[in-house]
Amino acid sequence: MRAFAAQIIPSDKSLPGADEAGAVHFVDRAFGKPFFADIVPVVRAGLADLDARARTLGERDFASVSPGRQVALMQQVERTPFFAAARMLVIVGTFADSAYGGNRNGTGWTIVGLEHEPTYAAPFGWYDAQDETNAKHDA
Amino acid sequence: MTQRTYAEGETVDFVIVGSGAAGGVLAKELATAGFDVVVLEAGPWQQPSQFTHDEWAVERENAMLNLAFEPIQTIRGSEAEPARRNAGRALAYRRGVGGSSVHFAANYWRFRPIDFKERSKWGSIPGTGFADWPITYEELEPYYTKVDWEIGVSGAPGPFDPPRSRRYPLPPLPNKSSGVVLERAASALGLHAQVSPLAILSKQYDGRSPCLACGHCSYYGCEFGAKSSTLATVIPKAVATGRCEVRAESTAFRVETNAKGRTTGVLYWDREGKERRQGSRAVIVAANGAETTRLLLLSASPSFPHGLANSSGNVGRYIMFNGHASTFGRFDHPLNEYKGPVASRTVHDFYDADAKRGFYGGGGIDARFNYQPIGFALGVLPDDVPTWGREYKRALSDYFTHSVRFYAHITSLPVASNTVTLDHDHPDRWGRPGLCLTYTDHPDDMKAKQWFRDRTEELMHAAGAARVWTQPILPIDGGVHLLGTARMGDDARESVVDRYHRAHDVPNLFICDGSSFVTSGRGQPTMTIQALAFRAAEHIARFARSHEI
Repeated sequence: MRAFAAQIIPSDKSLPGADEAGAVHFVDRAFGKPFFADIVPVVRAGLADLDARARTLGERDFASVSPGRQVALMQQVERTPFFAAARMLVIVGTFADSAYGGNRNGTGWTIVGLEHEPTYAAPFGWYDAQDETNAKHDA
Repeated sequence: MTQRTYAEGETVDFVIVGSGAAGGVLAKELATAGFDVVVLEAGPWQQPSQFTHDEWAVERENAMLNLAFEPIQTIRGSEAEPARRNAGRALAYRRGVGGSSVHFAANYWRFRPIDFKERSKWGSIPGTGFADWPITYEELEPYYTKVDWEIGVSGAPGPFDPPRSRRYPLPPLPNKSSGVVLERAASALGLHAQVSPLAILSKQYDGRSPCLACGHCSYYGCEFGAKSSTLATVIPKAVATGRCEVRAESTAFRVETNAKGRTTGVLYWDREGKERRQGSRAVIVAANGAETTRLLLLSASPSFPHGLANSSGNVGRYIMFNGHASTFGRFDHPLNEYKGPVASRTVHDFYDADAKRGFYGGGGIDARFNYQPIGFALGVLPDDVPTWGREYKRALSDYFTHSVRFYAHITSLPVASNTVTLDHDHPDRWGRPGLCLTYTDHPDDMKAKQWFRDRTEELMHAAGAARVWTQPILPIDGGVHLLGTARMGDDARESVVDRYHRAHDVPNLFICDGSSFVTSGRGQPTMTIQALAFRAAEHIARFARSHEI
């Protein structure tokens, strides 16, 4: 699952990804929640299938496959219910409140560029900062 | 706050079912006028400190909504089709004191004179129950003003506003980047972007804090009390009269009637599921267009075989949600739409329907990007962006802060075969029959959505977006505006309540919420629901004093 997550939202030099966010920890917890009861067997079976596909390539399991070949294996199952469910878990794990196990150190906010504060002050963006009417309003 | 409580067996003047936009106003007005009031609210009484920014809990698990408690609603296109599980928006509202006024985006458009007499101006529309309202804008105007001042609305006059008798009590909230680019687009096309009135405080008002721009208005409760929900405004005032008890976690399941065809009280389940009764001299149902329907249909009796107040057969009929259509744009510089209230500017040039367009329909277009990260990452990006991998990740980073949506809010026509009915095969958690939505968009509604999407697309290009993309126009499968299911009218054969919200069939039953609407308006109904509630309260109090109930 961790290897799968790292390909959904990959890490690179400029920005962390699902791996740094600890999305897999969210998934671990989600597996015990009634909310996800319907998709857990689908995700387990799909991960086992990825391992089986890896073994046909002579590898021990999916995680042992090189990143480039992991992507190729994932493309083979891209349109399955497993992929949709597992992708959803990775995304939620990356961006949901850290209380759920993922989004560690606000990694999700960093990825999308959200300054995570309880409140904000105007101007909020570049365009309203340039706006003359707002400047007058503030004065 | 400690509140007056009424003992079991004590008969009060009014039981109000629902504490939302309408119920809260009615409770405050009637208790202030000296009547004894019990409000039955199905959901909990949350305090602002209990509201969170937790997107997963609030938006994805629907923690505040009815959908968490009745997970299976059904839908079908017509009575001839089998009902299937509604996996779409469904009939959605918030359970809890304050109702959906707690989690709404707080857009407070008034209706205009045309909305109340559009059938006369436009003519009949085949396949619909398009009708004039029995009241006019002029009759409702003082109550719109009352809403402005009693609950706190921030705004400024715009070029297309209906007449108003008093200025806004509060200046506008700051214009957002979305508002600035919409203004730019509108002026390039010879249109007008005007200030969006919001039921959110721009300054301290009535002892409440101003907006701190946390960016969690739509779907979330305001932890600062700056959003003018009934929870933050009229409900504390109702309780402070010492004559109003708000009984939370009390689920009404039957309006009780006697042999004379009058209501005598409401039966409900308390938080332990125990059946209880609250006796009253009159009953007001203000439970929203879906729950009001369910309660009236569940209150059938030998005298009212098709449901209470339903001799017209119109209880549950003519449901309207408002259509929507949008275009997205990515800009060169950050807009950071996740900060501040949802929308700050609206284009109202297309409010009136125009026969030259070839269909009936009108609406307004605002600018917003009210997505939190999970919802954004799951499905807002353009279709040609990969849904995982390196390119996807780059897009997450490039689009979230730089994107905006021009969002059209549009009329929906009242169609008799569009209904909310009881679904005995799918009961809710309490064992009440579930809700089935039967709905097919009127052809004019589909054309209106398409037409408005084209306008949003033109505006987005005119705004100078670097990248423009749209989503397909879809049929309606539910929504949060639950309108028209107990419509108001002078003719008892065609409507459920009269112009004072009194049920035609039951002299001491009043129904006042979105269900009272005759037409849908252009997309932001709560301001009008509350104006109706202030007006209804005044007339109901008058009837009660003169023993006409």
